[in-house]
Amino acid sequence: MIGFLEGLLVTLKTAMRKPITAQYPDPDKRLDLANRYMGFPALLWDRDVEEPYCTGCMVCIRACPTLCMSAQMKDNPLHAVKKSRRRKVIDTFEVNLGRCILCGICVDVCNFDAIEMSHNHELTKYQRNGNRVNLGQLIDMGKAYQSETSWVPKQPDKNSGVPLKTDSAPRSGQEMSDRASDVGAPARHSSIAEISETTPKEPNGIETQS
Amino acid sequence: MTLSQLVSYTLGGVGLLLFLSVMVLAMTWGERKALARIQMRMGPMRVGFHGALQPVADAMKLITKEDILPSLANRPVYWIAPVAVFLPAFMLWVTIPLARNLVLRNLELGLFYITAVTVLSVLGLVMAGWGSANKWAMLGGLRAAGQLVSYEVPFIMAILGVAMLVQSLNLVTIVDAQSKYGYAVIQPLGLFIFLTAGLAELGRTPFDIHHAESEVVGGPFVEYSGAHWAVFFLAEYMNTFAVATLTVLLFLGGWRWPDMPLDGSAHTALSVAWFLAKTAVVVGVIFWIRGTYPRLRIDQLMSFGWKLLVPLSFINIVVTGVVLFYGWPLWTLTILSLVLLSGMLYLITANPGTRMERKTVTVHPVKAGRVEPTASTTQTGTETDY
Repeated sequence: MIGFLEGLLVTLKTAMRKPITAQYPDPDKRLDLANRYMGFPALLWDRDVEEPYCTGCMVCIRACPTLCMSAQMKDNPLHAVKKSRRRKVIDTFEVNLGRCILCGICVDVCNFDAIEMSHNHELTKYQRNGNRVNLGQLIDMGKAYQSETSWVPKQPDKNSGVPLKTDSAPRSGQEMSDRASDVGAPARHSSIAEISETTPKEPNGIETQS
Repeated sequence: MTLSQLVSYTLGGVGLLLFLSVMVLAMTWGERKALARIQMRMGPMRVGFHGALQPVADAMKLITKEDILPSLANRPVYWIAPVAVFLPAFMLWVTIPLARNLVLRNLELGLFYITAVTVLSVLGLVMAGWGSANKWAMLGGLRAAGQLVSYEVPFIMAILGVAMLVQSLNLVTIVDAQSKYGYAVIQPLGLFIFLTAGLAELGRTPFDIHHAESEVVGGPFVEYSGAHWAVFFLAEYMNTFAVATLTVLLFLGGWRWPDMPLDGSAHTALSVAWFLAKTAVVVGVIFWIRGTYPRLRIDQLMSFGWKLLVPLSFINIVVTGVVLFYGWPLWTLTILSLVLLSGMLYLITANPGTRMERKTVTVHPVKAGRVEPTASTTQTGTETDY
C-alpha cells in the first residue's frame, strides 16, 4: 500500500517540476547547439586576406560518399597582385545538402582547413531541389559558423593566406619551375599564370558529380 | 405534458448538452495538460493560449474525418452502438443538480434512476464490439461487459450506504443533509469504494481493460472513426464528469459544506462555482491516478472487484445499518469505516499474488584514475583492477 501512495507522490513531484520541452521552431526557445555539433558542411573565410580558404583541390569531392559536391578552381587574382599566398582559389562550389549525410569525411580529408561541419541543420524548403547551395551560400554558412564558434584553423602556419616575406621579393626562375613541375606542367613555364593560360580548360567545369 | 413544459425541457436539454460539451472539451484539454506535467512535458501549446483551443481543433478534425464502415460489419448494430453509449451518459444528467434549483428534473428516486441508467451503456459497448466484425472489438466488448457488470455491484452498494444515512434517494436532499460535513468524513470506506468502482465503470486507466491499446488495440472502438468515434469519446468523458460529480454530491457535500454566502442568483452562481471547483479537484485526482498507475491484468481486475470490493461494500452497508439501527453516534461509523478501509488496504498489500519485493541496490562511487595500492593490499596480495 505504501508503494501505491509512493507512486502518487512521485507523479506529484514530477508534476511540480519544470517541463523540459524546448518548443523548437521559436527562435528564443530552442536548445543551444553544442560547439561540437556537426551540421551541414560550409566553406570557411580567411579574414586576413578576405578570400575563402578553399583552393578547389577537389579532395573533399573525391572523398564524398554520396557524391553531393562539385567544384571548380580558378587562378587567384589576389595572388597575382601578391596579396595572397594561394595560387589557386575556389571559383564555383555546389553542394546538394539534400544528399549530404553529415559524415564529415570532407572535413577530415581537407588539407587547407577550408571546410567545416557548420551548425546549420535546418533544410526545409518548398522546392524539390531547394537544398543545392552555391559558393556564396556556403561561405555565408561558414562565416556564421566562424562568428558563432571562434573557429581557428588547425594548421595556421600552413594554411594562412597572408603572403610570406619571400613572396614579396621576386622569385628565382629555378624555384618557380620546380613548383611548376610539381603540378605536372611543362617546366619551361616560369609562372603559374602562364600554365593556366596554356592548359586547355574544360568547358563545363572540372567535374560535375551531383 | 403541456407545450410550455415541452419547450422548457427541450431548451434545458439543449443547454445541458452544450454545457456538457464544453466541460468535455475542457476536460480533454485538462487531462492532456495534467498528464503532460506529470511526464514533465508541456502538452498542447500551439492552438490558442497554451493550447486552449486544441480540443476545438480536435473536434473539428474528428467531425471532418471519413466515417468508415467495415465491409463485414452488422450495419444497424454498428451505427446504433454510439447512440446506445451516448444516450445513457446523457440521460444520467437529467437528474444531477448543479445547484439547488439548477437541475432539469429533480427526481425523488434520483440515485436509483442513475444506477439504472448507467448499466445501459454496457449494451452499447457490446453492440459496438459485435457490430464491428473485428476480433479485437469483440474481445473488448466482452471485456467491457464483464468489467462493468462486476463493478456495478460495489458501485451501487457504496451509493446505498449514503442513501441509508440520508434516508432518501433524492440528490438535492442528500446534499442538504451534508451541510455540516461531507459524508467522506463518515464513510471514507464508502468514498474509496465508490471512486474505485467508478473508475472501473468508466474504464479509466488502472481499469481500462476493455480498450487496452496494447492488448485489444482500442477495444470496441477499433473500427470506429470520425464523428461516431467522437460520440464514444464524448460519452466517455461525460461519464467521467458524471462520476466526479456524483462523488462530490454524495461524499463531498455538493454545493454546500461550507455554505455559500449571499442570496438569490448570486448565491446560486457561487454554489455552482464551488460545486464545479470541487468536481474539478476530483477530476484532477482521476487524471492523477491515470498518470500514476499501470493497467491491471484482467484476473487482477476481477479478483479485486469480487474478492475485495464487493464483500467490503456489503460489510460497509451492514456496519452502517447496525450503527443506524442502534442509534450509535455517527463518529463510531467513521472509526469503523476507517478500520475497514485500513483492513482492505492491508489485504491489497498482503495479497500474495500482487506482492512486490523491494530490492535496494547501493551504488558505490568509483573514483576515476589509477588507485595506488595501499600497504595493506600489497601485503595481502590482492590486486586492484585499474
